[in-house]
Amino acid sequence: MVTTSAERVPANTSEKLNERIWDEMEHRIVFYAQHPELIQNRLEELDREWDVERLIETEGPTMTMLGIFLSITGGRKWLLLPLFAQGMMLTHAIQGFYPMLPLFRALGFRTQAEIAEERYALRILRGDLESIGDAGQGTDVRASVAFLASRVRPT
Amino acid sequence: MSAVAMSSTRVVEQTDPRVNQRIERQTEINVNYYANHPELIDDRIRQLDAEWDVERVLEMNSASLTLLGLVLSTRNRSWLLFSLAIQGFFMQHALQGWCPPLPVLRRMGFRTEAEIQSERYALKALRGDFAQGADPRRLSQAVHH
Repeated sequence: MVTTSAERVPANTSEKLNERIWDEMEHRIVFYAQHPELIQNRLEELDREWDVERLIETEGPTMTMLGIFLSITGGRKWLLLPLFAQGMMLTHAIQGFYPMLPLFRALGFRTQAEIAEERYALRILRGDLESIGDAGQGTDVRASVAFLASRVRPT
Repeated sequence: MSAVAMSSTRVVEQTDPRVNQRIERQTEINVNYYANHPELIDDRIRQLDAEWDVERVLEMNSASLTLLGLVLSTRNRSWLLFSLAIQGFFMQHALQGWCPPLPVLRRMGFRTEAEIQSERYALKALRGDFAQGADPRRLSQAVHH
């Protein structure tokens, strides 16, 4: 019933949509492999991209606050709207299901983990993680190269 | 501070820099440990896939408290203000990054998904997932699994 964090959204998305999101990423990786000079721009776009949680966290409170306001002016039956919206938010947090998720995924909204797939593929294309495969180095050097090259905001 | 912040760093920007540093330092310690114990990397990556990020915790807490306020409002309608305030703050979190429980959760060590992924990719690199070079199609597979 409690879904793994990594699986929460993909497990509640149709296989077709999951594959489409991945295919589109693969196409972009092929494109940026041929246009490495555009990688930096793309990485900045990825930092700005709205992930599906952020969208849900904007849409959920909007519906909930709307329902509460309507219940004050238009009768208490409107409280069913925030009740439903927050019941669904709780379901989404624990199990992953959310009524708007199929729509948001069809519109192409990704999880932060999916965005990270593209971010790290681009960094590898750029050569950020190149020296890690070097077995001649000491373990501590490899560890610190891996850590530094993988930071959210590399220095 | 802009009204609508960057997605990947909006939580980090709203966290005390010392707390961010402590979280990053812990990640560095983890990466260093698993570099020395490569046989444990598979297990660690499974743990990271199960780790609750700060968004998931906030979604659960805000929904629980808001539902509580809605239920209590049947006895006293002023509880609606409680639910309203939580949802207002949660919206602020979505747009701008900050909300009242965030400093506490960050001090407890809850990471953003981007921070969890940074440990994950450091470990994947150490495991040799990206050693086959930069062929774009194989690379797309390698980041996905």
